Amino acid sequence: MDDFEKLIKGNKDLFDEYTADKSKIWQNIESNLDSPTKTIWLWRKSPLLKIAASILILIGAFTVINLFTTSVFHHNNQNNIVHQELRDIDTYYKDLVSFQVKLVKNNPKLHIEDKEKFLSFMDELDEEYEVLKLEMNKNLNNEYILEAIVNNYKKRIELIENLLKQINDSKKLNDNESYIL
Amino acid sequence: METNILYTHKDLVEKSKAGDRNSQYKLYELYVDAMYNISMRMLGIKEDAEDVVQDSFVDAFKNLNFFRYESTFGSWLKRIVINKSINHLKLKRIPVTSLDQHNYHISNEIESNEPIVASININKIKKGIKTLPNGYRQIITLYLIEGYDHIEIAEILGITISTSKSQYHRAKKKLVEIVNTL
Repeated sequence: MDDFEKLIKGNKDLFDEYTADKSKIWQNIESNLDSPTKTIWLWRKSPLLKIAASILILIGAFTVINLFTTSVFHHNNQNNIVHQELRDIDTYYKDLVSFQVKLVKNNPKLHIEDKEKFLSFMDELDEEYEVLKLEMNKNLNNEYILEAIVNNYKKRIELIENLLKQINDSKKLNDNESYIL
Repeated sequence: METNILYTHKDLVEKSKAGDRNSQYKLYELYVDAMYNISMRMLGIKEDAEDVVQDSFVDAFKNLNFFRYESTFGSWLKRIVINKSINHLKLKRIPVTSLDQHNYHISNEIESNEPIVASININKIKKGIKTLPNGYRQIITLYLIEGYDHIEIAEILGITISTSKSQYHRAKKKLVEIVNTL
Protein backbone atom coordinates (compact mmCIF):
# COMPACT_ATOMS: atom_id res chain seq x y z
CA MET A 1 0.00 0.00 0.00
CA ASP A 2 1.52 3.34 -1.03
CA ASP A 3 1.19 6.72 0.69
CA PHE A 4 -1.64 7.70 -1.59
CA GLU A 5 -3.73 4.69 -0.57
CA LYS A 6 -2.73 5.07 3.07
CA LEU A 7 -3.88 8.67 3.07
CA ILE A 8 -7.32 7.80 1.70
CA LYS A 9 -7.82 4.72 3.89
CA GLY A 10 -6.69 6.63 6.96
CA ASN A 11 -9.09 9.50 6.34
CA LYS A 12 -12.22 7.63 5.28
CA ASP A 13 -14.38 9.71 7.60
CA LEU A 14 -13.51 12.85 5.69
CA PHE A 15 -15.23 11.40 2.64
CA ASP A 16 -18.57 11.42 4.48
CA GLU A 17 -19.48 14.89 3.34
CA TYR A 18 -23.20 14.50 2.68
CA THR A 19 -26.08 14.76 5.11
CA ALA A 20 -29.24 12.81 4.46
CA ASP A 21 -32.70 14.33 4.62
CA LYS A 22 -33.61 12.06 7.53
CA SER A 23 -37.27 12.92 7.98
CA LYS A 24 -38.05 12.68 4.27
CA ILE A 25 -36.34 9.31 3.85
CA TRP A 26 -37.87 7.93 7.09
CA GLN A 27 -41.34 8.96 6.01
CA ASN A 28 -40.93 6.92 2.84
CA ILE A 29 -39.45 3.99 4.74
CA GLU A 30 -42.27 3.98 7.27
CA SER A 31 -44.92 4.06 4.58
CA ASN A 32 -43.32 0.99 3.02
CA LEU A 33 -43.19 -0.97 6.25
CA ASP A 34 -46.19 -2.88 7.56
CA SER A 35 -47.84 -1.69 10.73
CA PRO A 36 -45.79 -2.82 13.71
CA THR A 37 -46.54 -6.41 14.69
CA LYS A 38 -48.04 -6.94 18.09
CA THR A 39 -46.60 -10.42 18.53
CA ILE A 40 -44.85 -10.63 21.85
CA TRP A 41 -43.00 -13.85 22.51
CA LEU A 42 -43.41 -13.79 26.29
CA TRP A 43 -41.71 -17.12 26.86
CA ARG A 44 -38.54 -15.79 25.32
CA LYS A 45 -38.36 -13.19 28.05
CA SER A 46 -38.55 -15.39 31.11
CA PRO A 47 -38.08 -19.11 31.83
CA LEU A 48 -40.91 -18.92 34.38
CA LEU A 49 -43.29 -17.69 31.69
CA LYS A 50 -42.05 -20.50 29.49
CA ILE A 51 -42.99 -23.06 32.17
CA ALA A 52 -46.33 -21.33 32.80
CA ALA A 53 -47.08 -21.36 29.07
CA SER A 54 -46.21 -25.08 28.88
CA ILE A 55 -48.50 -25.87 31.83
CA LEU A 56 -51.32 -23.85 30.28
CA ILE A 57 -50.92 -25.69 26.99
CA LEU A 58 -50.94 -29.05 28.82
CA ILE A 59 -54.04 -28.11 30.84
CA GLY A 60 -55.76 -26.91 27.70
CA ALA A 61 -54.89 -30.06 25.79
CA PHE A 62 -56.03 -32.26 28.72
CA THR A 63 -59.34 -30.38 29.02
CA VAL A 64 -60.06 -30.71 25.31
CA ILE A 65 -59.24 -34.45 25.32
CA ASN A 66 -61.26 -34.98 28.50
CA LEU A 67 -64.27 -33.12 27.13
CA PHE A 68 -64.09 -35.08 23.93
CA THR A 69 -63.79 -38.50 25.59
CA THR A 70 -66.50 -37.68 28.17
CA SER A 71 -68.93 -36.52 25.54
CA VAL A 72 -68.21 -39.56 23.36
CA PHE A 73 -68.52 -41.88 26.37
CA HIS A 74 -71.69 -40.11 27.55
CA HIS A 75 -73.15 -40.24 24.08
CA ASN A 76 -72.23 -43.90 23.72
CA ASN A 77 -73.58 -44.62 27.18
CA GLN A 78 -76.87 -42.94 26.36
CA ASN A 79 -77.08 -44.81 23.09
CA ASN A 80 -76.36 -48.07 24.89
CA ILE A 81 -79.21 -47.49 27.34
CA VAL A 82 -81.67 -46.72 24.55
CA HIS A 83 -80.43 -49.70 22.57
CA GLN A 84 -80.87 -51.95 25.56
CA GLU A 85 -84.45 -50.74 26.17
CA LEU A 86 -85.32 -51.23 22.52
CA ARG A 87 -83.72 -54.67 22.53
CA ASP A 88 -85.80 -55.63 25.56
CA ILE A 89 -89.02 -54.43 23.92
CA ASP A 90 -88.02 -56.14 20.71
CA THR A 91 -87.30 -59.43 22.47
CA TYR A 92 -90.60 -59.24 24.38
CA TYR A 93 -92.67 -58.74 21.22
CA LYS A 94 -90.60 -61.21 19.22
CA ASP A 95 -91.20 -63.89 21.84
CA LEU A 96 -94.87 -63.01 21.99
CA VAL A 97 -95.26 -63.15 18.20
CA SER A 98 -93.25 -66.37 17.80
CA PHE A 99 -95.28 -68.01 20.59
CA GLN A 100 -98.53 -67.08 18.87
CA VAL A 101 -97.20 -68.10 15.44
CA LYS A 102 -96.35 -71.47 16.95
CA LEU A 103 -99.86 -71.75 18.30
CA VAL A 104 -101.26 -71.04 14.85
CA LYS A 105 -98.91 -73.47 13.18
CA ASN A 106 -99.71 -76.26 15.61
CA ASN A 107 -103.40 -75.69 15.61
CA PRO A 108 -104.95 -78.77 13.94
CA LYS A 109 -108.29 -77.08 13.42
CA LEU A 110 -106.98 -74.48 10.96
CA HIS A 111 -107.04 -75.07 7.25
CA ILE A 112 -103.66 -75.35 5.55
CA GLU A 113 -104.64 -72.57 3.20
CA ASP A 114 -105.50 -70.25 6.08
CA LYS A 115 -102.23 -71.11 7.79
CA GLU A 116 -100.18 -70.39 4.67
CA LYS A 117 -102.00 -67.14 4.06
CA PHE A 118 -101.39 -66.10 7.62
CA LEU A 119 -97.71 -67.12 7.58
CA SER A 120 -97.01 -65.37 4.27
CA PHE A 121 -98.57 -62.23 5.68
CA MET A 122 -96.37 -62.61 8.76
CA ASP A 123 -93.31 -63.02 6.50
CA GLU A 124 -94.17 -59.77 4.78
CA LEU A 125 -94.39 -58.04 8.12
CA ASP A 126 -91.06 -59.64 9.10
CA GLU A 127 -89.37 -58.22 6.01
CA GLU A 128 -90.83 -54.80 6.72
CA TYR A 129 -89.59 -55.11 10.28
CA GLU A 130 -86.00 -55.92 9.15
CA VAL A 131 -85.94 -52.84 6.91
CA LEU A 132 -87.23 -50.68 9.76
CA LYS A 133 -84.61 -52.12 12.12
CA LEU A 134 -81.81 -51.20 9.69
CA GLU A 135 -83.19 -47.67 9.42
CA MET A 136 -83.39 -47.42 13.16
CA ASN A 137 -79.68 -48.36 13.50
CA LYS A 138 -78.82 -45.51 11.17
CA ASN A 139 -80.84 -42.99 13.12
CA LEU A 140 -81.97 -43.89 16.58
CA ASN A 141 -83.75 -40.60 17.14
CA ASN A 142 -86.14 -40.99 14.21
CA GLU A 143 -89.57 -41.16 15.88
CA TYR A 144 -91.35 -42.17 12.66
CA ILE A 145 -89.29 -45.33 12.37
CA LEU A 146 -89.91 -46.24 16.00
CA GLU A 147 -93.61 -45.66 15.48
CA ALA A 148 -93.53 -47.81 12.32
CA ILE A 149 -91.82 -50.63 14.25
CA VAL A 150 -94.47 -50.51 16.98
CA ASN A 151 -97.21 -50.54 14.34
CA ASN A 152 -95.53 -53.50 12.66
CA TYR A 153 -95.69 -55.43 15.93
CA LYS A 154 -99.25 -54.30 16.59
CA LYS A 155 -100.34 -55.55 13.15
CA ARG A 156 -98.74 -58.93 13.75
CA ILE A 157 -100.36 -59.30 17.15
CA GLU A 158 -103.67 -58.11 15.79
CA LEU A 159 -103.42 -60.61 12.96
CA ILE A 160 -102.64 -63.41 15.36
CA GLU A 161 -105.40 -62.36 17.74
CA ASN A 162 -107.91 -62.27 14.91
CA LEU A 163 -106.87 -65.70 13.77
CA LEU A 164 -107.02 -67.13 17.27
CA LYS A 165 -110.42 -65.49 17.75
CA GLN A 166 -111.60 -67.21 14.57
CA ILE A 167 -110.31 -70.54 15.86
CA ASN A 168 -111.97 -70.04 19.22
CA ASP A 169 -115.21 -68.97 17.60
CA SER A 170 -115.29 -72.04 15.41
CA LYS A 171 -114.42 -74.15 18.46
CA LYS A 172 -117.29 -72.61 20.44
CA LEU A 173 -119.61 -73.16 17.52
CA ASN A 174 -118.56 -76.77 17.30
CA ASP A 175 -119.00 -77.23 21.05
CA ASN A 176 -122.43 -75.69 20.88
CA GLU A 177 -123.29 -77.96 18.01
CA SER A 178 -122.37 -80.95 20.08
CA TYR A 179 -124.57 -79.73 22.88
CA ILE A 180 -127.42 -79.30 20.45
CA LEU A 181 -126.78 -82.70 19.25
CA MET B 1 -13.53 -8.92 21.59
CA GLU B 2 -14.46 -9.43 17.94
CA THR B 3 -17.63 -11.18 19.02
CA ASN B 4 -18.68 -8.07 20.95
CA ILE B 5 -18.31 -5.92 17.83
CA LEU B 6 -20.60 -8.28 15.92
CA TYR B 7 -23.29 -7.73 18.52
CA THR B 8 -23.19 -3.91 18.26
CA HIS B 9 -26.72 -2.51 18.77
CA LYS B 10 -28.00 -6.04 19.40
CA ASP B 11 -30.81 -4.79 21.60
CA LEU B 12 -32.04 -2.40 18.92
CA VAL B 13 -31.70 -5.06 16.25
CA GLU B 14 -33.67 -7.61 18.27
CA LYS B 15 -36.45 -5.15 19.05
CA SER B 16 -36.53 -4.12 15.39
CA LYS B 17 -36.88 -7.77 14.43
CA ALA B 18 -40.01 -7.88 16.60
CA GLY B 19 -41.35 -4.89 14.65
CA ASP B 20 -40.70 -2.21 17.28
CA ARG B 21 -40.91 1.02 15.29
CA ASN B 22 -38.96 3.11 17.82
CA SER B 23 -36.00 0.74 17.69
CA GLN B 24 -36.17 0.69 13.90
CA TYR B 25 -36.03 4.48 13.90
CA LYS B 26 -33.08 4.50 16.31
CA LEU B 27 -31.17 2.11 14.04
CA TYR B 28 -32.09 4.23 11.04
CA GLU B 29 -30.87 7.38 12.77
CA LEU B 30 -27.57 5.73 13.64
CA TYR B 31 -26.82 4.52 10.12
CA VAL B 32 -28.68 6.73 7.67
CA ASP B 33 -25.92 9.29 7.09
CA ALA B 34 -23.24 6.65 6.57
CA MET B 35 -25.46 4.77 4.14
CA TYR B 36 -26.43 7.93 2.32
CA ASN B 37 -22.76 8.85 1.87
CA ILE B 38 -21.96 5.38 0.52
CA SER B 39 -24.78 5.65 -1.98
CA MET B 40 -23.84 9.20 -2.94
CA ARG B 41 -20.25 8.13 -3.61
CA MET B 42 -21.51 5.28 -5.77
CA LEU B 43 -24.24 7.14 -7.65
CA GLY B 44 -23.37 10.81 -7.36
CA ILE B 45 -27.02 11.91 -7.64
CA LYS B 46 -28.94 13.01 -4.52
CA GLU B 47 -32.38 11.66 -5.56
CA ASP B 48 -30.97 8.31 -6.68
CA ALA B 49 -29.01 7.96 -3.44
CA GLU B 50 -32.11 8.75 -1.37
CA ASP B 51 -34.13 6.13 -3.25
CA VAL B 52 -31.45 3.51 -2.73
CA VAL B 53 -31.10 4.31 0.99
CA GLN B 54 -34.83 4.21 1.46
CA ASP B 55 -35.17 0.83 -0.33
CA SER B 56 -32.21 -0.54 1.56
CA PHE B 57 -33.68 0.26 4.97
CA VAL B 58 -37.07 -1.13 3.98
CA ASP B 59 -35.42 -4.37 2.78
CA ALA B 60 -33.22 -4.53 5.85
CA PHE B 61 -36.13 -4.18 8.29
CA LYS B 62 -38.26 -6.65 6.35
CA ASN B 63 -35.46 -9.22 6.24
CA LEU B 64 -33.96 -8.58 9.64
CA ASN B 65 -34.83 -12.11 10.74
CA PHE B 66 -32.18 -13.36 8.32
CA PHE B 67 -29.51 -11.26 10.05
CA ARG B 68 -27.60 -13.72 12.28
CA TYR B 69 -24.74 -11.53 13.61
CA GLU B 70 -22.24 -13.10 11.21
CA SER B 71 -21.13 -9.52 10.56
CA THR B 72 -22.00 -6.24 12.25
CA PHE B 73 -25.42 -4.80 11.48
CA GLY B 74 -23.60 -1.86 9.83
CA SER B 75 -21.66 -4.09 7.42
CA TRP B 76 -24.79 -6.08 6.63
CA LEU B 77 -26.72 -2.90 5.87
CA LYS B 78 -23.79 -1.42 3.95
CA ARG B 79 -23.70 -4.46 1.69
CA ILE B 80 -27.40 -4.02 0.96
CA VAL B 81 -26.81 -0.36 0.06
CA ILE B 82 -23.81 -1.23 -2.16
CA ASN B 83 -25.73 -3.99 -3.96
CA LYS B 84 -28.72 -1.74 -4.49
CA SER B 85 -26.51 1.06 -5.78
CA ILE B 86 -24.85 -1.31 -8.27
CA ASN B 87 -28.25 -2.59 -9.39
CA HIS B 88 -29.42 0.99 -9.77
CA LEU B 89 -26.46 1.76 -12.02
CA LYS B 90 -27.11 -1.37 -14.04
CA LEU B 91 -30.76 -0.38 -14.46
CA LYS B 92 -29.67 3.02 -15.71
CA ARG B 93 -27.23 1.22 -18.04
CA ILE B 94 -24.28 2.96 -16.46
CA PRO B 95 -21.27 0.61 -16.69
CA VAL B 96 -20.11 -0.55 -13.26
CA THR B 97 -16.63 -1.18 -14.65
CA SER B 98 -14.78 1.01 -17.08
CA LEU B 99 -15.22 0.25 -20.79
CA ASP B 100 -11.50 0.04 -21.45
CA GLN B 101 -11.01 -2.77 -18.96
CA HIS B 102 -8.57 -5.53 -19.84
CA ASN B 103 -8.07 -8.78 -18.00
CA TYR B 104 -4.56 -9.38 -19.26
CA HIS B 105 -2.82 -6.63 -17.29
CA ILE B 106 -0.21 -7.91 -14.92
CA SER B 107 -0.59 -6.08 -11.64
CA ASN B 108 3.18 -5.72 -11.03
CA GLU B 109 3.62 -4.09 -14.40
CA ILE B 110 0.89 -1.60 -13.60
CA GLU B 111 2.32 -0.78 -10.20
CA SER B 112 5.74 -0.06 -11.70
CA ASN B 113 4.17 2.50 -14.04
CA GLU B 114 2.27 4.35 -11.33
CA PRO B 115 2.78 8.10 -11.29
CA ILE B 116 3.91 9.73 -8.08
CA VAL B 117 1.48 12.13 -6.40
CA ALA B 118 3.03 15.57 -6.37
CA SER B 119 1.27 16.91 -3.31
CA ILE B 120 -1.19 14.93 -1.21
CA ASN B 121 -4.36 16.78 -0.37
CA ILE B 122 -7.63 15.14 0.71
CA ASN B 123 -9.84 17.81 -0.82
CA LYS B 124 -8.11 17.38 -4.17
CA ILE B 125 -8.58 13.62 -3.92
CA LYS B 126 -12.29 14.11 -3.20
CA LYS B 127 -12.64 16.34 -6.23
CA GLY B 128 -10.59 13.90 -8.29
CA ILE B 129 -12.83 10.96 -7.35
CA LYS B 130 -15.91 12.92 -8.37
CA THR B 131 -14.48 13.60 -11.80
CA LEU B 132 -13.49 9.98 -12.42
CA PRO B 133 -15.51 7.98 -14.96
CA ASN B 134 -18.25 5.89 -13.30
CA GLY B 135 -16.50 2.52 -13.48
CA TYR B 136 -13.27 3.92 -12.04
CA ARG B 137 -15.07 5.86 -9.34
CA GLN B 138 -16.91 2.79 -8.10
CA ILE B 139 -13.88 0.58 -7.81
CA ILE B 140 -11.81 3.29 -6.08
CA THR B 141 -14.67 3.91 -3.66
CA LEU B 142 -15.21 0.22 -2.94
CA TYR B 143 -11.53 -0.51 -2.39
CA LEU B 144 -10.15 2.60 -0.72
CA ILE B 145 -13.13 4.08 1.12
CA GLU B 146 -15.57 1.21 1.74
CA GLY B 147 -12.69 -1.12 2.54
CA TYR B 148 -13.64 -4.15 0.46
CA ASP B 149 -10.89 -6.43 -0.85
CA HIS B 150 -10.68 -7.60 -4.46
CA ILE B 151 -12.47 -10.88 -3.72
CA GLU B 152 -15.45 -8.98 -2.31
CA ILE B 153 -15.38 -6.38 -5.09
CA ALA B 154 -15.33 -9.15 -7.71
CA GLU B 155 -18.42 -10.61 -6.04
CA ILE B 156 -20.21 -7.27 -5.77
CA LEU B 157 -19.51 -6.17 -9.33
CA GLY B 158 -19.78 -9.62 -10.87
CA ILE B 159 -16.28 -9.55 -12.32
CA THR B 160 -13.18 -11.69 -11.86
CA ILE B 161 -10.67 -10.93 -9.13
CA SER B 162 -7.97 -10.16 -11.70
CA THR B 163 -10.30 -7.73 -13.48
CA SER B 164 -10.98 -6.06 -10.18
CA LYS B 165 -7.25 -5.69 -9.53
CA SER B 166 -6.37 -4.37 -12.99
CA GLN B 167 -9.38 -2.08 -13.00
CA TYR B 168 -8.40 -0.70 -9.63
CA HIS B 169 -4.84 0.05 -10.72
CA ARG B 170 -6.06 1.79 -13.84
CA ALA B 171 -8.53 3.80 -11.79
CA LYS B 172 -5.87 4.77 -9.28
CA LYS B 173 -3.51 5.84 -12.06
CA LYS B 174 -6.22 7.99 -13.55
CA LEU B 175 -7.07 9.48 -10.16
CA VAL B 176 -3.46 10.42 -9.48
CA GLU B 177 -3.27 12.07 -12.88
CA ILE B 178 -6.40 14.11 -12.15
CA VAL B 179 -5.21 15.07 -8.64
CA ASN B 180 -1.89 16.25 -10.09
CA THR B 181 -3.67 18.55 -12.47
CA LEU B 182 -5.81 20.16 -9.72
